[in-house]
Amino acid sequence: MPKSSKKPLMETKDLKKSYFSSAGLETEVLFDVDLVIEAGEFVSIMGPSGSGKSTLMHILGFLDVPTTGNYIFDGQDVSGFSDDELAEIRGTRVGFVFQSFNLLPRTTVLQNVMLPLMYNNNDSAAERIAKANDAIDQVGLTDRAKFLTNQLSGGQQQRVAIARALVTKPDIIFADEPTGNLDSKSGVQVMSILQGLNEKGHTIILVTHEKQTAMHSERILHILDGRIDSDKSDFKKIHAKDISSLK
Amino acid sequence: MRIEDSVKTAYRGMRANIFRAFLTMLGIIIGVGSVVLMTGVGESMEGVILGQISSLGAKSMVMFPGNNGPEEGAATARPGYDSLKFSDIEALSKLESISNIAPIVFIPGDANYGRESSSPTILGTNENFFSNQSIELEEGRLITRADDEKVKFIAVLGPDIVEDLFPGSNAIGKRIKIADRTFTVVGITKPIGTQFFQNADERIFVPLSVAKSVTGQKYLSYMTFEAVDTFDSAFSDVKYVLRKRHGLVNPDDDPDKDDFTIRSSEQAQEILGTVSLALTVFITFVASISLIVGGIGIMNIMLVAVTERTREIGLRKALGAKSIHILIQFLIEAILLTFVGGVIGASLGIFFSWIAANIVHQFLASYIFAISPMAILVALLTAILTGLIFGINPARRAAALNPIEALRYE
Repeated sequence: MPKSSKKPLMETKDLKKSYFSSAGLETEVLFDVDLVIEAGEFVSIMGPSGSGKSTLMHILGFLDVPTTGNYIFDGQDVSGFSDDELAEIRGTRVGFVFQSFNLLPRTTVLQNVMLPLMYNNNDSAAERIAKANDAIDQVGLTDRAKFLTNQLSGGQQQRVAIARALVTKPDIIFADEPTGNLDSKSGVQVMSILQGLNEKGHTIILVTHEKQTAMHSERILHILDGRIDSDKSDFKKIHAKDISSLK
Repeated sequence: MRIEDSVKTAYRGMRANIFRAFLTMLGIIIGVGSVVLMTGVGESMEGVILGQISSLGAKSMVMFPGNNGPEEGAATARPGYDSLKFSDIEALSKLESISNIAPIVFIPGDANYGRESSSPTILGTNENFFSNQSIELEEGRLITRADDEKVKFIAVLGPDIVEDLFPGSNAIGKRIKIADRTFTVVGITKPIGTQFFQNADERIFVPLSVAKSVTGQKYLSYMTFEAVDTFDSAFSDVKYVLRKRHGLVNPDDDPDKDDFTIRSSEQAQEILGTVSLALTVFITFVASISLIVGGIGIMNIMLVAVTERTREIGLRKALGAKSIHILIQFLIEAILLTFVGGVIGASLGIFFSWIAANIVHQFLASYIFAISPMAILVALLTAILTGLIFGINPARRAAALNPIEALRYE
């Protein structure tokens, strides 16, 4: 994943998403979204609640399909993919970080991080443990691998979630309000890790409503009423502290 | 996805709520446990009954008058009760396919010694009865051919009669009253126990000629004998002779057209086998109700688990789990519940069979601990099947969840 490649990784054409009520009434959430994201980009999606930013992330993250229009991922049109085909892409090419961490309780850090390797994967148990430990190292939690997730602080839990997103070595990491439930210091740590991962070549898509958080990326998309309102990259990027200072 | 991952995940799901898992399993534990216990008891009882049958002798046969099977005694005989004549015995004794013929004539009434009284079954018979029924002598002597020929009023008592009439004293040589006649006790038989639900130790044996003279009876109450070679040849020879002598035409070998009924110890085994099969079917039916109730409990708790773990399901799907992975995870969890419940139930069933055997053995020496491996296997497989059947609906619900909605679920 060299950062210099200018081949579009994700491309949407006339993307439209509607929800239908049980009475058949149509509610349009996204209109004619045309978007190109290249491999290695760090993109923030901003917008007020109800703007459709979550829906856009779900479609881009293969959790949902557009009603009409096309989504071309890595040269492949995935708009008509089945649930299982989407699941396979999620399991192999994408990592998710959620606002509420979504870790399994009463389960160790190592087991949580190994979870994505359970599906769509034929590695041996030893290989999986090695990959998981590697991902845990990357988020600076090596000495916490055997801890239960509920014994960790919020910031540490979110770092476990990042390690879990990393473990499959995905092309893209989706982070949905990753700092929303964290104190500012932990938030900075999380943003620092995400910036570090971006530097290593991972494409990162961040959904947030905080300007300050979005400023850690290189490009900010504003979504308003289901449309891309603005697409800016001419701002001064904030550099979070280096990950090495966390340890 | 690997099967061991599914099992481990399911195991963790079960461990997370171990007490609830146990309560959920209870129906399965009781169902499987009762099947294993009841079939074990059945197996032990069958051993007891087979032991009684084999105590009769492997070649033992019996013939009753009439064609409706065994009768309780001459006093309650139905039409056809007088169909077997003494002259029939003479003809049958010429057959080479049967031997050891013992005709029996019942004497109705009680036996008394002084003020002691007893209500035994009183049989007039010959020396062959003791050998073809494997009755052994405890003390004194058995009935001989000479006793029969000389019409001697002697009696051989079963051990329970001795206890009734001679508590704590010697019976041999004493004179007892049967049907207002006086008999001298010459022998006591060894204990036998229960045979065909009757106490075989509550009998008094007197010579056949004596019974004939006391009752004036011109026909047999029944007779016992042994097959020399096979039961088949014994059956066909006896039938041939009796049909010819009684003027019966029965080319179809229809037992309803005969005026006699013959049974072999082999048939007795078959009849008891049928009875125990019927019992097993009944027990299985009762147990299957318990398994169905248990299965509904499993389904209920799995539906709860799916709701409780909606977010986890959403997460797993977001991380790449396909519907089939989620389906298998919840199905295995349901099967694990029923399987573990089945193993616990089977263990308890075996344990209680063993306890029951130890207790019953004190009263019934031939009752020995036994379990039916087939029943355990079938019960366990049924438990697993219950998990599969009742787990499929919750598992499908879990698999059908939309990842976005599941992740948002509070």
